[in-house]
Amino acid sequence: MTNTKIAPRDISLKTDLLSPIADLAPLPAPYSADGMEPPFKQPKPEWAEEHCASLDGFIALDGLRRPETKEDEDEFVRRFIGGLAKSFADSNNSFLEPLQLTMDYCAKCNTCSEACHIFKSSGEQEIYRPIFRSDVLRKIYRRYFTPSGRLLGGFVGADIDINWESIARLGELAYRCNLCRRCAQTCPLALDNGMLTREIRKIFSQEMGIAPTPIHAKGSMRQLETGSSTGITKPALIDTLEFIAEETEETCGRKIEFPIDKQGADILLIHNAGEYMAWPENPAAFAILFEEAGLDWTLSSDMIGYDSVNYGIWYDDTQARKVAMQQIKAAEKLGVRRIVVGECGHAHKALALSADRMVSERNIPVESCLPLLAEMVSSGRLKLDPSKNDFPVTLHDPCNVVRQMGIVKPQRDILKAICPQFREMMPHGVDNYCCGGGSGFAIMNSYNFKDFRNKVSGRMKFTQIVKAFGEQFTDPGIVKYVCAPCSNCKGTIRDLFEFFETTKKFNVHYGGLVELMVNALVSMNRPFLDFAATA
Amino acid sequence: MLGAILVSVFIIIAMVGFLLLSVYRAWRFKRLPVHSRLEIYPIPKEGAERAKYGGSYLEEPEWWHKPRRIDKLNELLDMLQEMIFIRKLFEKQRSLWWASYCFHLGVYAMFVWTIALIVNVAASPPWLYWITVAVGAAGFALTTLGSFLLLVRRIVDPSMRKYTTPQEYFNLVLIFCVLVTGIASWSGFASPFVVAASVLGGGGQTFAAVVYLHLVLLGLMLIYIPMSKMSHYVGKYFAFHKVLWDNDPNLADSEVRRKIKELEAHKPKTVWVAPHVNPVKPVEEPKQ
Repeated sequence: MTNTKIAPRDISLKTDLLSPIADLAPLPAPYSADGMEPPFKQPKPEWAEEHCASLDGFIALDGLRRPETKEDEDEFVRRFIGGLAKSFADSNNSFLEPLQLTMDYCAKCNTCSEACHIFKSSGEQEIYRPIFRSDVLRKIYRRYFTPSGRLLGGFVGADIDINWESIARLGELAYRCNLCRRCAQTCPLALDNGMLTREIRKIFSQEMGIAPTPIHAKGSMRQLETGSSTGITKPALIDTLEFIAEETEETCGRKIEFPIDKQGADILLIHNAGEYMAWPENPAAFAILFEEAGLDWTLSSDMIGYDSVNYGIWYDDTQARKVAMQQIKAAEKLGVRRIVVGECGHAHKALALSADRMVSERNIPVESCLPLLAEMVSSGRLKLDPSKNDFPVTLHDPCNVVRQMGIVKPQRDILKAICPQFREMMPHGVDNYCCGGGSGFAIMNSYNFKDFRNKVSGRMKFTQIVKAFGEQFTDPGIVKYVCAPCSNCKGTIRDLFEFFETTKKFNVHYGGLVELMVNALVSMNRPFLDFAATA
Repeated sequence: MLGAILVSVFIIIAMVGFLLLSVYRAWRFKRLPVHSRLEIYPIPKEGAERAKYGGSYLEEPEWWHKPRRIDKLNELLDMLQEMIFIRKLFEKQRSLWWASYCFHLGVYAMFVWTIALIVNVAASPPWLYWITVAVGAAGFALTTLGSFLLLVRRIVDPSMRKYTTPQEYFNLVLIFCVLVTGIASWSGFASPFVVAASVLGGGGQTFAAVVYLHLVLLGLMLIYIPMSKMSHYVGKYFAFHKVLWDNDPNLADSEVRRKIKELEAHKPKTVWVAPHVNPVKPVEEPKQ
C-alpha cells in the first residue's frame, strides 16, 4: 500500500511501518540544490521494540511503552475507550460543545487539508491530513458510543478494529499536528480538527498518564514541583537576573535593574523562563524599555509566578489549570493591577484565554505585551532611531497571539516605525503558518523527533523565511533578521537555522521584537544587537 | 382513499417533525455548558475594519477599561454572506463550491416554493402563481443537479471517497430520489398546487402512485435530516457563533461569569484517573 492510499481504518494494519515519510515538498533556492538539506536520521530497530514507531518511524510519545502481556494490551485499549467516554461526559465540560460539533458535522470536504502546513510539507502524505486522525477517532466513537454505530457498523463509518497498535498510532498521530488551528479557520462548517487532536492528547494524558516527557515530566510536572519548567528555582532566578544585569552593562553599557516582588506595582511582567536561560537579552530588553518608558512594574519570584509557560494547554486540562491558578495566585499576592505576558505565544493564550474561563472570579486582567509596547512607541515615550535597524527584517506571527487572539496590528505598527526594511512573509497575520514548533514540538527532541520538526513541520515556515528576503537571502554580506515575538517560535527557528546552516551561510538571524526596539533606542550608545556574535 | 389520507397526515407530521427535531437539536447544543475560549480570528463582530485583518479588542492597551464595541451589523452581514453564498467554500475550495452552492441555492428555492405553495392554497393570489412555478422549477433543477454533482464528486475524488461512509452516499442518494420522484410527479402526473391543496385539506383526492412515492420519500427525508449530519444548518450556527466567534471575556457582571458560576455549582460526576490528575500529596513549595 502506498502512503497516499492509506485510509483511516488502516490505522490497525499489521505492518512494521504504516506510512514511511517519502517525498517532501521541495524547498526554494538555494535549498533546492543537492546536498543543501540534511537527510533524516535513520531510526534504530530497538526503538520500535520499546515504543510505537510503526506510524511513520518517528517517536513523540517516549513515555508510551509496548506492553509485555496480552492483559496489559487489553488494559491499554480499555483505558483509552474509558477516556474517550469521559471526553463526552461532565469531566470534559469545557470542551463538550466544540467536541460534539466537530464529531457530528464534518462533511469530509477536505478544505482543511490545503490549510495544513504539515500535510502540504510532507508531500501530502495521507496520515497527516487533518481529518485522517479525526476520522479514526470518529470511527472509534461511533463504534463504541453510538446506537447507529453498534447497529449499523460500517454503514455509518464504525468500521475500525482497535488494538494496542492502532491506539498507540493514534496517540503518536496526535503529535503530528501543531494545534495551529489553521484548519479550523478555513473549515466551511467552523469545525476544529486541531481541538480534536488535543482531545486525543488529553485522553492519553489525563486518563492513561501518557505524554511526551519534555512537556509532561520535564515540563508541567517540573514546573509544579520547582516553580519553572526550566527547573530554575527562586534563588537561581535571582542569581540569573543579577547575571543578566551585569552582562547587559558589560556588553552594551546600559545599567539595568529588575524589580522583584514589588508590592502593589501596576504591572506584573511574566516571561517564559526559557528566555532567562536561552535568550537573556529578551528580559534585559524589556527591563530597558519599561524603565525608559517609566512604567511601574515588577517580576515575581513566587512559585510559578516567574514562568509564564503552561504546557497543559497542549495536552492536559488539569495541568493547565494547576499552573494557571498558581500564576494568578502570584499576581494576587503582589497586589498588582494587571498581568502583562512577555514574548511567549502559548503563554498568551494560556493566561489570557484558557485561564479566563477556568474560574469565575478573575480579578486581575491579563494583557499581551504587544499593545503596551506599541503604545510606548506611538505615544513618543520611547525615542527611537530607525536608521539603527536599517537591515531587512521580516515578522513571524505566533499562531496563539495572532490567529487565536486577534493581536495583529501592534507588532506591525512597531516594526514599521523602527525597521525601514520591514517586509511581510506571505501569507501573514491571521493567515500565517505555524513555525513548526507549536504545541510542544519546539521542546520535543526525543529519539528522531527533532528531524520531524526541522524537515516536516518547520518546512513551510522555513520556506516562507527564505522567500521573504528574496534575492537578499543568499547575500552573506547583508544581515537579515526574523522577528519572532515568541519563545517557542524562536527555539524552533533557532533549530531550523542550525539544521540548515542558515545563519552561518547566509547571515540570517532571529530574535524577538523588544531586542529590535532597544537596538533602535536613541539613548543606547552601543548597539544592542550583535550579529557578529551569533553568525 | 384511506391511503391518500394517511400520506397527507404523514407529510404534515413530517414537516412539523422536521421543525421540532431541528429545534430540539439546537436546544441540545444550547444547553451544553460554557466552554473554554477557542476563538479564531477574524471575528466579524469586532467590526468591519478589524475583521478585515483579523484584529480584536485585545489589541488595545488595558482593553478591560475600553468600551467593548460589538458590531452586530457586520456579524449579520458576514453570516448572511455565508448563508446565501457559502463564502468560505467559495474562497477556499472553488471546485467543490460550484456543486455545493448549486445544491444549497436550490434548497433555499425549495423552501420558498413550499411556503409559496401553502400561500397559494390559502389565498390564491394570482400574481404568485407563476412566481411559484418559476421558483419551484429552479429549485428542482438546482438541487437535482447539485446533489448529482456532489455525489459524482464524492465518487470520483479519491481524497473524498476515502472518507465518505455508505451513510453519506445514502444521504445524497435519498435526496436525489426525492427530487427525481418530485420532478416525475409534477411534470407528468399531478399539479403541485392541487396536491398541496389536497394534502392541506386532509387528502380528499387520489393521485398517481409516483406522487405518493414522492410524498412518502419526502416525509421520511424531512424526519431523517435533523437526526443526521445533514442538520449542519443547526450545527454551523453554534460552531461559528458560539465557538469560533465567542471571544467574550469573563468580566464582573458578564453573562460569561454567570455561566461559569452556574457550572461551578455542579461538581462533575466523572473524573479523570491518571496519577498526576489527583495526586495523593498536594503540590508543595520547593525547599529553598
